[in-house]
Amino acid sequence: MKRACLLVGMTLAIGCNRGPATTSTTGKPTVALVLKTLNHPFFVDMRRGAQEAADRLGVTLQVQAAEREIDVEKQMQIVENLIQTGVQALCITPSGSREIVSALVKAKDAGVPIIVVDTRVDAKAAADAGLRTETFVGSDNYEGGRLAGDYLVKATGGKAHVGILEGIPGHETGDSRLRGFRDAVKSAPGITIVASQPANWERDQGFNVFQNMLQAHQDIDSVFACSDLMALGAVEAIAAAGRRGKIKVVGFDALDDAKKAIAAGTMEASVAQFPAEMGRAAVESAVKVMRGEKLPPDINVKLDLVTRDNVK
Amino acid sequence: MTVGVRHRVILTGRLTPLLLLPARQFGTLIGLVALCAVLWILTPHFLTVSNLLNVAEQTSINAIVAVGMTFVILSGGIDLSVGSLVALAGVVLGTGLQSGQPLPLALALALAAGLACGLGNGALISWGGLPPFIVTLGTMSIARGAALLFTEGRPISGFDESFRVLATGRAGFVPAPVVAMAVVYAAAHFVLSRTTFGRYVYAIGGNEEATRLSGVPVRFHKTIIYGVSGLMSATAAVILTARLNSAQPIAGMMYELDAIAATVIGGTSLMGGDGNLGGTLVGALILGVLRTGPNLLGVSSFLPQIVIGGVSIVAVLLDTVLKRKNRT
Repeated sequence: MKRACLLVGMTLAIGCNRGPATTSTTGKPTVALVLKTLNHPFFVDMRRGAQEAADRLGVTLQVQAAEREIDVEKQMQIVENLIQTGVQALCITPSGSREIVSALVKAKDAGVPIIVVDTRVDAKAAADAGLRTETFVGSDNYEGGRLAGDYLVKATGGKAHVGILEGIPGHETGDSRLRGFRDAVKSAPGITIVASQPANWERDQGFNVFQNMLQAHQDIDSVFACSDLMALGAVEAIAAAGRRGKIKVVGFDALDDAKKAIAAGTMEASVAQFPAEMGRAAVESAVKVMRGEKLPPDINVKLDLVTRDNVK
Repeated sequence: MTVGVRHRVILTGRLTPLLLLPARQFGTLIGLVALCAVLWILTPHFLTVSNLLNVAEQTSINAIVAVGMTFVILSGGIDLSVGSLVALAGVVLGTGLQSGQPLPLALALALAAGLACGLGNGALISWGGLPPFIVTLGTMSIARGAALLFTEGRPISGFDESFRVLATGRAGFVPAPVVAMAVVYAAAHFVLSRTTFGRYVYAIGGNEEATRLSGVPVRFHKTIIYGVSGLMSATAAVILTARLNSAQPIAGMMYELDAIAATVIGGTSLMGGDGNLGGTLVGALILGVLRTGPNLLGVSSFLPQIVIGGVSIVAVLLDTVLKRKNRT
């Protein structure tokens, strides 16, 4: 066991040399950014934007994330641990809109101002717990869903059989995108949604679920995926079924892979969010709060539709 | 019965194992203390009462699941279904509460669900003669699927304060989950070390055939052992649900691996028949501290995964080396 201790000690020591220490040994205030995960390009971009803003504004940024996007219990632990280190502000992308509330209440009680990023906290759960957050920084996911829906109506001339790949049920982000999309296609009576199933934000599940959809509904000619990873999974499933170019795929997030697919013509369009922009705005808001400035309840980050015409 | 740990040491009759076995148990504790010392040196935030309670609270769920895992591994088996049972029991609890059942009934239903699934595992393993790995792998999938199907994949959230107090409440300054963990460990330790059933757990793991030939109803006791594991998962589910204020069908993923890691780091032999709950508790605390470390230090949260893997391997390696010495 001695060897085990040595190993642990060494690894921690090495790890420590690599990253800056949490506390403001330099006297700089520390802002924490808690992400859903760091194994998704979206959040990696967000971290980059946040880091740039932190460097510019002279604050120390501490970024932490759970290993898996859906692990809200782990995210709760991270928040609890960060409170122990005495961070001055907390920016967070909640893994669960309701579940995270108890952790945020603890932060609030410890006097840490909270900036919610990308995914909203459930309004009712927050009100019940008496939680007040400083602001919400993010794109309007409902609007993004509408953008995708309107585009599909135009691209198909108002006649389509659509299959939808949903995110994890109960996630505010995915639910809003879905509502936006459904509301937009309602205007076109020629568009029918033939299937709508969750693929849990994941690429391989997007592949499997869409493959099964194609088995059950031969007539599907369009797909709306609530995220690009699922959309890219669907693209693979379409290729595997030998129906490349016959099914229009619209995704969400405008990931690099998705842009390549749009340029190559295997995907039709994707709603672009600007995660780096969100990270930047989140850290800026945190600094404003620390200075005692008032913030608007919502800080909207722009959305854009990437299609073959404007893809870079 | 002469297959228990202490007896076995006496039977082998050498001086070395007598000295080494306690060393193995204390070794884990020394590991925890050393780890804490390292963190204490590296960050001023570690050794504070509020942080230590924080670590204990975060450890409680895995520690309770690991109690059941220790029973199972001591008997020479394995239980991969614990994480899914946490989700299933949580969903049963959440549904019960949300449909307006009184708290005691909802709790009883959740615990019964966990216990029943565990007993099912045990029955299939002992009477069906199936390998524990396969049976509990199957249950892992069945329970997860059932939880998802039952809730249509959606979390059930928003519970009454009278229930949430099970996670948010404090006895003095000690958080409720820590109290629950202490009670569970005290009770389980008593069962394991002071009751006939407890001694049979070791005996079955030490030599199942010999135990059976001694007239012990092995099948019956093995079924109970897996039942204990299911019950522990359900207990953890109660705390998790109260803590998150939400019962999630996707809760508890990979809990089986954390529980196995805690048990193995705690010195329980995967071969069965050797180990104790004190070790498991220390093992769970080591995992808890390792998870907290990166948050306090501000280093990458990917790091603990590597360290935990390493520590688990070293723990088993140590076990194997000791066993080999034992034999010579």
